[in-house]
Amino acid sequence: MMKQLFPKQHVMGFVFSLVLSVVALSVLAFDMSYKMGMAILLVTAIAQASVQLLLFMHIGESEDKKTLYTNIIYALFVGVVTILGTLLTMIWGYQ
Amino acid sequence: MKIDESLPLEYSTEENRLKILGFWIFLGAEIALFSTLFAVYFALENRFGTGPSAQEIFHMPPVMIETILLLTSSFTIGLGIHAMRLGLKKAMMTFFVITLVLGLGFLGVEIYEFVTYVNEGATIQTSAFLSSLMTLLGTHGLHVTFGLFWGTSILLQVRKRGLTPQTANKSFIFSLYWHFLDVVWIFIFSFVYLKGLMVL
Amino acid sequence: MESHEQQFLILNEPMIVGAMISIVVGALSILLGLTYFKKWGYLWREWITTVDHKKIGVMYILVALVMLFRGGVDALLMRGQTAMPENGLLDAQHYNEIFTTHGVIMILFMAMPFIIGLINVVTPLQIGARDVAFPRLNSVSFWLFAAGAGLFNISFIIGGSPDAGWSAYFPLASLEFSPTVGNNYYSLSLQIAGLGTLMTGINFVVTILKMRAPGMTLMKMPMFTWSVLITNVIIVFAFPVLTVALALMTMDRQFGTKFFAMQDGGMDMLWANLFWVWGHPEVYIVILPAFGIFSEIISTFARKNLYGYKSMVVSMVAISLLSFVVWAHHFYTMGHGVMVNSIFSITTMAIAVPTGVKIFNWLLTLHKGKISFTTPMLYSLAFIPIFTIGGVTGVMLAMASADYQYHNTMFLVAHFHYVLIPGTVFAVIAGFHFWFPKVFGFRLNEKLGKLAFWFITISFNVAFFPLFILGLNGMTRRMYTYSESTGYGPLNMLSFIGAVGLGIGFIILVYNLYWSIRYSPRDETGDPWDARSLEWATHSPVPVYNFARVPKIKELDAFWFAKKNNQPLSDGPYEPIHMPSNSGMPFLMSGAFFAAGFCAVFSWWIPAIVFTIAIFVFMALRSFEQDHGYYISVEEIERTERELGGDKE
Ligand code: HEM
Ligand SMILES: [Cu+2]
Repeated sequence: MMKQLFPKQHVMGFVFSLVLSVVALSVLAFDMSYKMGMAILLVTAIAQASVQLLLFMHIGESEDKKTLYTNIIYALFVGVVTILGTLLTMIWGYQ
Repeated sequence: MKIDESLPLEYSTEENRLKILGFWIFLGAEIALFSTLFAVYFALENRFGTGPSAQEIFHMPPVMIETILLLTSSFTIGLGIHAMRLGLKKAMMTFFVITLVLGLGFLGVEIYEFVTYVNEGATIQTSAFLSSLMTLLGTHGLHVTFGLFWGTSILLQVRKRGLTPQTANKSFIFSLYWHFLDVVWIFIFSFVYLKGLMVL
Repeated sequence: MESHEQQFLILNEPMIVGAMISIVVGALSILLGLTYFKKWGYLWREWITTVDHKKIGVMYILVALVMLFRGGVDALLMRGQTAMPENGLLDAQHYNEIFTTHGVIMILFMAMPFIIGLINVVTPLQIGARDVAFPRLNSVSFWLFAAGAGLFNISFIIGGSPDAGWSAYFPLASLEFSPTVGNNYYSLSLQIAGLGTLMTGINFVVTILKMRAPGMTLMKMPMFTWSVLITNVIIVFAFPVLTVALALMTMDRQFGTKFFAMQDGGMDMLWANLFWVWGHPEVYIVILPAFGIFSEIISTFARKNLYGYKSMVVSMVAISLLSFVVWAHHFYTMGHGVMVNSIFSITTMAIAVPTGVKIFNWLLTLHKGKISFTTPMLYSLAFIPIFTIGGVTGVMLAMASADYQYHNTMFLVAHFHYVLIPGTVFAVIAGFHFWFPKVFGFRLNEKLGKLAFWFITISFNVAFFPLFILGLNGMTRRMYTYSESTGYGPLNMLSFIGAVGLGIGFIILVYNLYWSIRYSPRDETGDPWDARSLEWATHSPVPVYNFARVPKIKELDAFWFAKKNNQPLSDGPYEPIHMPSNSGMPFLMSGAFFAAGFCAVFSWWIPAIVFTIAIFVFMALRSFEQDHGYYISVEEIERTERELGGDKE
């Protein structure tokens, strides 16, 4: 019963996401450059999001999976453009 | 209503499949929404005026508790959907209840966190930094709050009507929503708290 | 000088009091008329609670026409005021309010609903579907839009209109500089209408992706449907940005946050940034469906298939992505560096390329076609050169360094009207004439249609071409008056004459509607233009279920080839058709939105919260409701088909 209710994939996914959170915490524990810290945060956050999307949300399971991937990629495109573009116009590129 | 037996209940009718796709697209819109809030936050995070800065107000312990609660709830709702697909109504409901309780716990800690800020003199009106911080957190928190009500209403329906194509569909869509909120939190955890506390 | 005291009812402006009285009288007579003719039940059953995409579309267009009238009166007042130097028709404050409401109404409550209305009427028919993916949600979309439009429009009699421009830049739009409730109306009414638009976006993306008739692959969809798909994708990803921007505006104005403040770290230009992150995609939201409409009309009346179908699709997809990376061209002069301006200059010019591709496609479709000059075709033909002027001046504005000259002058005003009027207004009018017989079963009169066309097209140029010159001569926009010595007088007078001509053109258009309802002969064929796509394969007016049998598609323009080869699009016996049931909930829920919005405008928080709770109660009721729709029986289908003149396909 326990095996049936707690499939290995889900348990592994959960453990993995906890581990990733701890790795992310390391940016506070160790002395490192800003760039290095940001790199770690980006990698761990993206990995965590992927765990949720692929494992828990089953994005690839239905007949519409192409649409779903396109949708997410499009949304990320718009999101990244909004964030980086705003920083570009309002901060980095401001005189 | 044509029911396709070869698919899981939540996908079994045309209407159900439309709803799942529609909800995914809604989540696309939510990504755009939270991205905009992040854009605002990043633009304003160092503009704290005479108020406190991120370094001065962020404390890791409550944030860690929030993170663990939400990550766990995302795990349990995944188990709930898994149980639902096995047709185990009771197990599914149990996992959903656990999820909602964890969500409530998250909300409690978040409210505690806000109260602490206000007690330290950091209100939403103090500075642009705090306005953007509290709006970003607040929007996520409101989503969680809405989710608690929504999840409860679905639980009641499952209890009353059992696992039908409709209730299964709603439960599945709710699980997508909940996982999504976890994803947003991960980005808040990383790029608001950890980034804010990183020693430069 | 105008007093800036907060008033509840605006009673110190004779013009507004006059409008108020006529609105009250008009509303009362409508209410009395409905009661007298016992039409309340009909209205409720057939329209207010409907989930039928065709009726929802008609309601959108009806509201859009009313808003065109309102926005048009605003425009005439502005042109009237500036027709002569130091004119006294409007004072500065009133002029500010009017250009603000004109801009907001024309874009958000005229162009958007007109287009969404046509999308509603046409798209499901073009893809051979019975309805949209989420009919109930569609009704919610419409009523939220209506609630938003209503809320915005009452501002000028209750509390005062917004007056900080349609772009509502901070710090001008902040509480400090705009202390009346006008800008609260702006943020809350656009918020409500915007939610409705977002839902429309999701609805049509799913409809087009999932509900096409068997055999209609993406590359066999009519061009209008393609444009609708792309438009709605842009809506889904652009409108959340507006949602956030407006929410922050509300918070700054009503909760004392500091996002756009000038102290405590606030950043006033961040508003402009967010507004245009949404705003530029918005421009393409109103322009792309227009491209689709013109494509359908041009290929129908040139009797040719559309030239370069694939390149059209590719250029639209390119536009959908590029439209998100050009926004900073709206504030080149804000003070950011050369690097930023160069980047946005380049992306802006890049977006002109796919747009240009489309112009050539239309021209090549026309080339050697057997052209019939119907009213919709005339608008489409006039669109091409006029829009090209708009486009070319757009490229001039795109050059950041040159823009320091043009920025905020009448040159800009001329440019965007040269894009929006042919691009959007001509398109929706053309589409209105083109699809009118599908919905109502008779055509609009061609003679009156053409008369209106010539009035509108010529007057448009008379009204707006002078503004290019005025702009280059240094007349700035949003300027309520000028002295005689500037020499701006004569050209402004000319522009005023053009504006009056435009007004006459629109009146002829509405008169045509009235005339045709009374006298136009009925169209029995369902296909009065000898057109190409699926919507013409069913009866006019279209029965509730759209198609008695779902058509089967083998190629692009399948209906055209079915006609030419005399092959039916579908066969076999009728089957019972599943349809969604009507509901009054969307209407009531939008009522709660309206009430909550209204109370929030005046910061009456307790009632606002009560109405907000009501909204959630409606949502919960919907969640618990079990509604499986209903079936139309085979006998009923047979009867309807017989009454409409027999099996069509
Ligand atoms: C029907 C004929 C029209 C006339 C005569 C007209 C005239 C004008 C005038 C005089 C202004 C203000 C110029 C100034 O002082 O700055 C203006 C602004 C504007 N118009 Fe129109 N217009 C018309 C149609 C439209 C349409 C169809 C749209 C959109 C679909 C539109 C969108 C706008 C916008 C966005 C503004 C800017 C408002 C602002 O400055 O905040 N107009 N128009
Ligand atoms: Cu633009």
